[in-house]
Amino acid sequence: MAEYFTARGLPVPRELRQNPLTDWRRLTLIAAALIVFVIGLRVTNLDLSRANPEYSAQLLRQLFQWDLTILTPRNDFETFWDTAEGLMVVTIFLGIIATVFSVVVALPLSFLGARNIMSGNRVTAAVYVFIRLLFTVVRSIDVLIVVIVSAVLLGIGNAAGVIGLAFHNVGVLGKLYSEAIEGIDPGPLEAITATGANRFQVIWTAVLPQIVNPYISFTIYRLDTNVRLAPILGLVGGGGIGILLFQSINLLQYGAAGLIIFMIVITVAAMDFASAQIRRRLV
Amino acid sequence: MTAVLSLRNLVKVYPSGTRAIDDVSLDIHRGEFVVLIGLSGSGKSSLLRCINRLIEPTAGQVIFDGVDVTRARGADLRRIRRRIGMIFQQFNLVRRASVVSNTLAGRLGYRSSWRTIASRPSPEDIAAAFENLGRVGIADKAFARADALSGGQQQRVGIARALMQRPELMLADEPVASLDPATSHSVMKYLEEINKKDGITVVCSLHFLSLARRYGTRVVALKAGRVAFDGRPEEIDERRFKEIYGEDAIEVEIGPERSVPQPMSATEAALIAMAEDTGHGPPPEIR
Ligand SMILES: Nc1ncnc2c1ncn2[C@@H]1O[C@H](COP(=O)(O)OP(=O)(O)OP(=O)(O)O)[C@@H](O)[C@H]1O
Ligand SMILES: [Mg+2]
Repeated sequence: MAEYFTARGLPVPRELRQNPLTDWRRLTLIAAALIVFVIGLRVTNLDLSRANPEYSAQLLRQLFQWDLTILTPRNDFETFWDTAEGLMVVTIFLGIIATVFSVVVALPLSFLGARNIMSGNRVTAAVYVFIRLLFTVVRSIDVLIVVIVSAVLLGIGNAAGVIGLAFHNVGVLGKLYSEAIEGIDPGPLEAITATGANRFQVIWTAVLPQIVNPYISFTIYRLDTNVRLAPILGLVGGGGIGILLFQSINLLQYGAAGLIIFMIVITVAAMDFASAQIRRRLV
Repeated sequence: MTAVLSLRNLVKVYPSGTRAIDDVSLDIHRGEFVVLIGLSGSGKSSLLRCINRLIEPTAGQVIFDGVDVTRARGADLRRIRRRIGMIFQQFNLVRRASVVSNTLAGRLGYRSSWRTIASRPSPEDIAAAFENLGRVGIADKAFARADALSGGQQQRVGIARALMQRPELMLADEPVASLDPATSHSVMKYLEEINKKDGITVVCSLHFLSLARRYGTRVVALKAGRVAFDGRPEEIDERRFKEIYGEDAIEVEIGPERSVPQPMSATEAALIAMAEDTGHGPPPEIR
């Protein structure tokens, strides 16, 4: 093949010149990845010598000896909302409420964070840069960190959990929404602008119809994630079923812990399935 | 005859440094059907978009009906824009919206923001929408989604939308470049009709000289952002044609979009030659 090019005095394309198995660039890359892995193993020093197989096996068995008493109020002071399933419901709603709050904030901000809408003049372009920077900063602070901080500021409980989730999600949804706007077909925008419509009318008529579906899809995706995260928040003071899980583990009530973990798995799986179904129908 | 549109020393330099329009001056009179021709990249789209300020001219003036478009701001600019209809190669309809709401969008320049969201379109606007859809022969598709229509039908919706503005000037940027020859003619005929019957001035860029000859009352050729020819269609002879399109060009009736050989790298040329050698024919479009 290569003779074809050399015979005609043409440069031989790299695809023909190079055997992929001896390409030094590929080999270097593979070697680098191996070196990082080996160094990582030494640095992290994974140590299993302290594990006690018999104790672990016993513990695993206990996790499946479910303590069904947590499903009913255990004394006169407790209500449905103190039972495991009551707290599970609360937890799901923590995720939902946090999503609603973050949508309310991220939705209007996302328009200010879309380059194609804001590139008109210098002021709006500056706003765009600021908003996207804000999204990035907010997004980079993990949910657990925000929950810990707000649990300190506001006290342990549902409020801390919701704020932690909502805060992080403003960053994530803001970015996703803004990128959805940036990905729209600019043709209709141009055409509607040419009719003499103002900026608001252009957004209303040409942008909104193009972003409704991606917005719904992203929102459900984040709702899914938030409901999935909500049970963990109790471990750091964010309320919900996580608190009960944390307590049972500390009190060595592994039967209760096992049941709670099972409930969380079921909820997350159901959520995952529902979210995938809805989003599949949207695209 | 007074000029409805005057371009005075218009210049457009893109931030990348490309001089897309280089000192263009033109007077376009009421009722003319001006066809813009020129090679790909000669500045046709840039010129059309400078007229209604979809892009900002770098220097020079655009005067529409005695008003300096280049100096207009905000609401003034929008009042000018609504008197200038525009249609596009890619039709630029809101694909998820119905044909009739796409058509009604042509009235946006006459409505307030508040009325856009808070009230339904007026009975007069709806009547006008159906009338205009009827004019371009697709009133029966009024409630179909725009993306369910064929290209030719979508372009007719584009015309109906522009007609809703009751424009005095119609800009058309390669309105038929995405359509087959037969459909092209049907769309061009609607443009011809609004030009002749309604007296709407048309400035339309086209790829095919045959279409330019058939529909234009005047042809303006751009070459590297400058006016290379300005006259009646029948004045374009072999010599002028080569001036506009380059020495190697041949005039085609209708056929491949590119009648001019594009610069090609040695490797590309070799790959094509190789494909021909092996009897596979040229590979699909190298861009
Ligand atoms: N947004 C842009 N930024 C930078 N350069 C641009 C931009 N749009 C167009 N150009 C350049 O300006 C020149 C003129 O482009 P224009 O699109 O006006 O040509 P055209 O005659 O419409 O071509 P075509 O027939 O391919 O549509 C080209 O060199 C093009 O690369
Ligand atoms: Mg063009």
